[in-house]
Amino acid sequence: MSRICGVTLRGIEAVKVEIEVEITGGLFAISIVGLPDVAVREARERIRAALRHVGNKLRGRISLNLAPADLPKEGALLDLPMAVALAERQQLIPPQKEAVFLGELALDGRLRRVRGAVPAALMARQAGLPLYVPAENAAEVALVPGLTAYAASNLPAVLDHLAGKSRLEAVAAQNEEETSFEVDTDLADIKGQMAAKRALEIAAAGHHNVLLIGAPGSGKTMLAKALQGILPPLSQEELLEVLLVRSTLGRVFSGGRRRPFRAVHHTASAVAVCGGGRDLRPGEISLAHRGVLFLDEFTEFRRDLLEALRQPLEDGQIAVSRATGTAHYPARVLLVCACNPCPCGYLGDPLVACRCSATERERYGKRLSGPIMDRIDLHVEVPRLTPEELVGISPTAGEKSVAVRTRVEGARTVQQERWRPWGLTCNAEVPEKILRKTVVPGDEVRTFLASMARRNRLTGRGMSRVLRVARTIADLAGASEVDVGHVAEALAYRGRGGDPWTDERL
Amino acid sequence: MDRREALILLNACESFDGDYLEGLRRDGLDAVELVQAGPSLWKELGLTERVQSLLSRSLRRHWPEEEMERCRRQEISLVTLDDREYPSCLRSLPKAPLLLYVRGRLPSLDAAAAIVGTRRCSSYGRRVAQELGRRLSLGGSVVVSGGAAGIDGAAHSGALEGEASTIAVLGTGVDRVFPQGHDELFRTIADRGALVSEYPLGTEARGWRFPRRNRIIVGLASRLVVVEAPKRSGAMITARIALEASREVWVVPGRVGEAVCEGSNRLLFDGAFPLVDLDEFVGVNGQRQLALFETSRAPEPTRSLQLSSEEKALYFLLRDQGERAVDNLAAQGKMGAADVVRILSLLSARGLVYPSGPGRWSASPEL
Repeated sequence: MSRICGVTLRGIEAVKVEIEVEITGGLFAISIVGLPDVAVREARERIRAALRHVGNKLRGRISLNLAPADLPKEGALLDLPMAVALAERQQLIPPQKEAVFLGELALDGRLRRVRGAVPAALMARQAGLPLYVPAENAAEVALVPGLTAYAASNLPAVLDHLAGKSRLEAVAAQNEEETSFEVDTDLADIKGQMAAKRALEIAAAGHHNVLLIGAPGSGKTMLAKALQGILPPLSQEELLEVLLVRSTLGRVFSGGRRRPFRAVHHTASAVAVCGGGRDLRPGEISLAHRGVLFLDEFTEFRRDLLEALRQPLEDGQIAVSRATGTAHYPARVLLVCACNPCPCGYLGDPLVACRCSATERERYGKRLSGPIMDRIDLHVEVPRLTPEELVGISPTAGEKSVAVRTRVEGARTVQQERWRPWGLTCNAEVPEKILRKTVVPGDEVRTFLASMARRNRLTGRGMSRVLRVARTIADLAGASEVDVGHVAEALAYRGRGGDPWTDERL
Repeated sequence: MDRREALILLNACESFDGDYLEGLRRDGLDAVELVQAGPSLWKELGLTERVQSLLSRSLRRHWPEEEMERCRRQEISLVTLDDREYPSCLRSLPKAPLLLYVRGRLPSLDAAAAIVGTRRCSSYGRRVAQELGRRLSLGGSVVVSGGAAGIDGAAHSGALEGEASTIAVLGTGVDRVFPQGHDELFRTIADRGALVSEYPLGTEARGWRFPRRNRIIVGLASRLVVVEAPKRSGAMITARIALEASREVWVVPGRVGEAVCEGSNRLLFDGAFPLVDLDEFVGVNGQRQLALFETSRAPEPTRSLQLSSEEKALYFLLRDQGERAVDNLAAQGKMGAADVVRILSLLSARGLVYPSGPGRWSASPEL
């Protein structure tokens, strides 16, 4: 029997599918069994046309079996293995060793790009099998090291290679050594907002989730975008994880080692954000894996969506269960939320008066105390600067993103060293229990913290949050111990609760 | 039916007051007789349909007794016009309330001051109200206000930081919390001072009830301070009532052209006392300087504590030039953002500066 294999996707995992062919006499017919979906069933037309193009006319009753039989098969990526299996059966090519093929066929025999090439590559690598992919998928497959892969642009090229007539060039493993990357929005392009930039630096260093609060037009979105540029580049392992999700969705790989940035609109459905649907596709939170997930107009998001985000934020992965099965997707994101300080947006603004009533503001404040808030370590106020204030800022440009990134990388290295015994990588991931045990500040700091806790009515959890951020600030400063200055700065980023500038009690 | 029950019932109608009862007395009628007279006399006296039906309905249900029982259960005292505890300064007021529901204990009211202002105050107004409340309380004055959001709430919470008592005059029943966020504040006030209302238990917040309760705020205090009031606001009504009741009206000057203090500044133009120095105000009573509070003017020892040179630089920048954004502080003080944020946080821990808007800071108005 033939050893030609294809793959089908279950979530982000590729499952090997063996193709078996039987041809008997009778009237011409092709039937495909093994739970094919419509795209797989229609493959017979594409295969027939493509093989005819090679000069092979199919005759007789043809049965194609896709094993395992109880696994639903989907997508056009099974075209190529079925065509190759038929060619082998018809002795166009000699009997083959086991190999994995994927590709969608055009009627003239060309190979089209498919989604799922990276999961297939990982599967082939693990099974130690060679992989044949369409030329358009070569770039992403090249990023998977330790794999024998061949890229072809049409069916004849594949068949010639298998018959030994001509050799296909093996895809050269391309190591994305280049760790520098293009920065889309540079911090230096944003005028002013030094406090917010500093907070972003802390967020990037300790992987702390951020909430930006400010009037419309104060630059919240731009700041959130700039965060992408100061995060350290993806490691080889992380790059593969990012690739895996993108390839599953059939997205073109770009950006090198730059971390993903996904902005979600507040009208998005829970399925779009968390993943799901009939074919269990990953959602935005998985596309933002190892990068930034940006929720603009945070208070407008539906509560059930925010509720659904809580679990993946804690676990770093999301389980999507539907009638068709369960899939696990990675979802370790840095969450950035942005919102207005009040419904009209101008509370506390020096130029535009706020038009909201006290009741409206109170109701708005309640929306800010939802399920996600206790996962956000940094609350940052983004003022809308008046023209006079803008003039008052020194004309020298602020720091470049690259310079900030260097400091962030330094702080991350320190954290990795510190948390290695617990299997953690950054301060924000550290559970409260371990944090309290390992970050023990001196007497002076403790007294200061205790007095501030009384003043600001900090809860135990709030204290831990301040301590966590203070630890990151100390890491950025290269200090081994947390001192009063670090704690003081961390306190400036604590939340003020619902109504930030009129309800604070000092 | 005794007179106490009759007063409870008449008070619940929201249309009788001390003056009305006085008129009745001159005609040889008493509260009990009025209640028991029945519809024919009520009609003759010109009571409205609403009041008439309310009276007869409540009589049938023995509502006054129920209300007294409810008060007993919730430890709310009822102070009627006839009682000795009824504040004498209220009695002289036109339209004196027949009855006060009191949760907590009414303190003695000599040298009480009322602080009123808009609910939608600036953070500056809030600071002033709170600090004024605190200093009055430290100086032994009872602080009276309306328990509302904004200036009222700040004045109460300031007063609670001091030693003296504070009274919140509510526009709802004393068993209600309005606005919602004030439940903790009300609990503390009931512990340390008194929540006062003329409305029966369970009365919900309605717009017209608040201006009506303002006369009680005025009545309880000998001086009224308006912190911030827009042109048309409850605080302006309160100021008018205070003038009619010949109470002193003091006003905290606000910036010209800002809607939030347009009304209060207009009061200044019309001849109210400008409040330019908190300590002076606390020390002055009835235009007399009281030596008693002289000590509170001495700077607190914490104020003279040592600041680092950077802390000094930022603090004096804010004190001398007013509100500043972090960016401007960094530019003028030639510091990095991290340092500015850290120092501001340290200064605010000592109460020297406070965030006055998103990303903006001001020096505290205390010094």
